Amino acid sequence: METLLQQFSEAMADVTQEVRASVVQITDGRGSIGAGTIWHSDGLIVTNAHVVAGRSAWGDARGERQRRSLHVILPDGRQLPVRVLALDEAYDLAALSVEADNLPVIEPGDSTAVRPGQWVMALGHPWGVRDALTAGVVIGIGAQLPEMQPGREWIALNLRLRPGHSGGPLIDTNGRLIGVNTMISGPEVGFAVPSHRVMAFLKSALGDNGQAQEKPHPLSEPQVV
Amino acid sequence: MADVLKSLSDDLANVVEAASAGIVRVEGRKRLAATGFVWSADGLIITADHVLRSEGLRVGLPNGDVVEATVVGRDPSTDLAVVRTSASVQAIPRAATNPRVGHLVLAIGRPGDQVQATLGVVSAIGSGRMDGAIQTDVVMYPGFSGGPLINAAGEALGMNTSGFMRGASAAISNAMIAQVAESLVRHGRVRQGYLGVGAQPVRLPQAIAEQVGQETGLMLASIESGSPAEAAALYQGDIIISLDGHATPSLDDLIGLLTGDRVGSQVTLRIVRGGQVQDVGVTVGEKQ
Repeated sequence: METLLQQFSEAMADVTQEVRASVVQITDGRGSIGAGTIWHSDGLIVTNAHVVAGRSAWGDARGERQRRSLHVILPDGRQLPVRVLALDEAYDLAALSVEADNLPVIEPGDSTAVRPGQWVMALGHPWGVRDALTAGVVIGIGAQLPEMQPGREWIALNLRLRPGHSGGPLIDTNGRLIGVNTMISGPEVGFAVPSHRVMAFLKSALGDNGQAQEKPHPLSEPQVV
Repeated sequence: MADVLKSLSDDLANVVEAASAGIVRVEGRKRLAATGFVWSADGLIITADHVLRSEGLRVGLPNGDVVEATVVGRDPSTDLAVVRTSASVQAIPRAATNPRVGHLVLAIGRPGDQVQATLGVVSAIGSGRMDGAIQTDVVMYPGFSGGPLINAAGEALGMNTSGFMRGASAAISNAMIAQVAESLVRHGRVRQGYLGVGAQPVRLPQAIAEQVGQETGLMLASIESGSPAEAAALYQGDIIISLDGHATPSLDDLIGLLTGDRVGSQVTLRIVRGGQVQDVGVTVGEKQ
């Protein structure tokens, strides 16, 4: 009979193994710049706006060059060019599309039912280390967290997010997707955008069915050519 | 397999939810509010001394009500404060057993309407001068000061404080809280015994050390005038080696023995004077 601690440890490894097929790397042609989460089997990928925009302001020449060189590396090793469908600077979200289908997605969870104290896991590629896991508990949820500007909803996390976790999935103990890892506040505290906010972003940017190929959000004002 | 993980996760969220009924928001400073927890159902609330900065203390209850509260007493040396509300409140259950190094613990705060939680383990149990402290690796999220450290059963182990030890979080144990709170309720302050001596640890002569079974004692460098020590005819150069049979090899030991309950009572100091061990009776005063 395994001890409870052994069972706990095995269960964490099992859940991690299940979801890692849906975690992608995002590169700018030179190296890994963050993680992404496969949101739809037809090639829709969600990451953070700051991952794809880099340090350059969105729309300037450097940003444009960087966007052109953006690629996604799937867990099976395929490297595919990326089309940026939509950005939401306020929630730091980006919707990307790659030419692929039958991609594995993470079962969606209910991020409105997240409770303080519940156990959660975050995946990403901190410092370029593939599919690294960090685990901990939910500190709190909502739009009134002490460290954050009020008005935007977050999940505050007591775990060790690092650069490179950005854009990766936050999952519950059933391996269900409840958020997108986004921000760090000190070594032990991180923030994720709850998945219901991601859904709202995708719905407003891409339409009701969230299909990547439909109604791409304009990225700049129309130009006369 | 994942059942274990889900059970653990649900257990964690459940103990947080259960404990939240006894956890309040303490609005005692201009910036971010802090946390307190209900010590007894007659309205006594424990919080951190350092979060009480401004006039007009208010407490946010779990049901959303915000009520007036009064300060019963505060003890900066342990960072504990006791406040009282006349509103109906529910006390948090307290652990009957002491935590052990390695136990899972949660820090709970209520700086806003909802409770928040961080998870960690017990790193060390304080001893000596840190007697009564529980050192943990829980993250003290903003506004968590004054909140409870709870165990896996959802029972309070003590009060979380911040800025007590660098790089680690510390909680004041229930036993220490009980001792300080009783004194604060009864006297409005924590009483500390007083002898009126300046003392420093010194190595005892070998013959004496062998005789009394300790290496060091406390040599008196000064005697304050009008003090209990002067009244007891203690002199500079005397070396205190024990108080009521408790050895005093360091100053922390002596300070730890001069507790509030000894104020006004006669204690026996064993001293070394002129190479001889002798006993001197002293009536302990109260430190002002």
